[in-house]
Amino acid sequence: MSSYKLVSRKYKKEDTVIRIGSFLTGGGYFSVTAGPCAVEGQKQMIDLAVTLKGMGVHMLRGGAYKPRTSPYSFQGLGEEGLIILAEARERTGLPFITEVTDIREMGIVARYADVIQIGSRNMQNFALLREAGKLTKPVMLKRGFSATLEEWLLAAEYIAAEGNQNIILCERGIRTFESYTRNTLDISAIPALRELSHLPVVADPSHGTGKRSLVAPVTRAALAAGADGVMLEVHQDPPAALSDGNQSLYPAELSVLMDEIKVLARALGKRPASKPSSGNLNLRVCGK
Amino acid sequence: MIVVMTHRAGEAEINEVLKRLERCGFRIHLSQGVERTIIGAIGDKTRLGDQALEAMPGVEKVVPILQPYKLASRTFKEDDTEIEVGNLTIGGSTLHVMAGPCAVESREQLLEAAFKVKEAGATILRGGAYKPRTSPYSFQGLEERGLEMLAEARELTGLYIVTEVMDSRTLPLVTKYADILQIGTRNMQNFYLLKEVASAGKPVLLKRGQSATIEEWLMAAEYIMAGGNHQIILCERGIRSFDGYTRNTLDLTAVPILKHLTHLPVIVDPSHAIGKWRYVPSMARAAVAAGADGLLIEVHPNPVEALCDGPQSLTPENFQLMMEELKQFAALLKREL
Repeated sequence: MSSYKLVSRKYKKEDTVIRIGSFLTGGGYFSVTAGPCAVEGQKQMIDLAVTLKGMGVHMLRGGAYKPRTSPYSFQGLGEEGLIILAEARERTGLPFITEVTDIREMGIVARYADVIQIGSRNMQNFALLREAGKLTKPVMLKRGFSATLEEWLLAAEYIAAEGNQNIILCERGIRTFESYTRNTLDISAIPALRELSHLPVVADPSHGTGKRSLVAPVTRAALAAGADGVMLEVHQDPPAALSDGNQSLYPAELSVLMDEIKVLARALGKRPASKPSSGNLNLRVCGK
Repeated sequence: MIVVMTHRAGEAEINEVLKRLERCGFRIHLSQGVERTIIGAIGDKTRLGDQALEAMPGVEKVVPILQPYKLASRTFKEDDTEIEVGNLTIGGSTLHVMAGPCAVESREQLLEAAFKVKEAGATILRGGAYKPRTSPYSFQGLEERGLEMLAEARELTGLYIVTEVMDSRTLPLVTKYADILQIGTRNMQNFYLLKEVASAGKPVLLKRGQSATIEEWLMAAEYIMAGGNHQIILCERGIRSFDGYTRNTLDLTAVPILKHLTHLPVIVDPSHAIGKWRYVPSMARAAVAAGADGLLIEVHPNPVEALCDGPQSLTPENFQLMMEELKQFAALLKREL
């Protein structure tokens, strides 16, 4: 089997740094993305976005097209969800990331979103990867449940081979035998990927643990391991969330965590994502 | 939920219940046994209002379906689902072997494989025209040309065709040519594709995800059934595990488990499960012993030169040998090939 080339560190020694709106990710810039699992309503989303902006979150997340294990579960608000996220961006200036689940939705999602997410279950949906490769906007590629690092990088290669190298890799836990946690966050993937690839690597401690109480410690661990960012699920009322309530932080908990992140990031020599220094950055400028 | 009618319930009473359920938007499956009638009903219970079904004449009890998969569950439909493909019945007492190369590589390669597998007793030809390759630099399949070659092979041999569809855009084209649409392992939770294939009007072969639980697998089948297509064949193809000696770990317990939980037919693909041709025949026998309704086997006229999955492909001669043994073995279990 041929190996990955474009995404390999052998092909490009310098870290890839991606600009999203007014912030940077990768190459020593640490960013925080936060928001609800799914966009559930307009007022909810906008209120939360304002709160998150106030805490220093860089990017908003929210699902409009939800990949639900059951056909009878809430499937997302669709385009209405995208419109709400765009409104939240209008109000707060926060760019947003949202998942696309099918090639035919790519056009509409790419029109609204700043970053397009390819979910775990679609990591080897090759048609979708190629379609994402034709975009200029950044793509966040989540690791498949049981994907090896090589399979993951080859999936990224599918995207890069079509012309889009604005790829952010997201470690979100792998499936193992342990059921206390929803998945097993593979912390070693973070430094391993930094060796193998020049692409930015972020962690998703929410899906990675499935338990609210474990999100903060795992976030700190991901940061310490060298991650370029984290993506966190937050909800104003987690027990009432339509999906993933168990792993969603309360806003107050995120506030505490954001303070810890700032302290840790400084101690680790990470640069705050929204204050890029001048100098020679191998920037991939994209989107709006 | 299940509405269990009493022994004495007559046609009029049964029809009243059916009418009420249908008016409230329920999807029905009627199971008229010798002893009693059972009505499987899927829908929004709140629409029944306060008129309890239990109070209707002839109703013995109403039982909820506890599993998250409803239409796929054997509680909803007690009798085995049998799927008609042309003049074949999959899921009945006859075992069906689907065989052929991993990918359609050329007209000659495909026709040679087709004639040989037909001769050995296969009833369905497999061959990929769209290949899900881990690397973007690997052979991706002949696409429409591959589908045309499969159609020609069907014309010449009478074998039906099963081939993989990878995305919603190529679905109409693949549907035109295939007799059975395969949803690959990596697409088991490609929910949009599952919803689309529900309206394709052809039977679906749903492969288990690399690390999918039984429940996730049945929920994927539920997506297709909820969309209106109940013609689903489940295919166990090995699950990802820690031992690298085999490509995957063949989970044969899935066969009796599924036969218990669901009414859908279950087949086994030992080729992908093991990744090494040498162990395919014994695992094929094991699959039949476990109760599988059929097999999916990779056969290539010249495995050493195969563009994909050579190491797990049987030569036509080895396939012939396997089929001969399998026929005798199946007879012991009172099934035919």
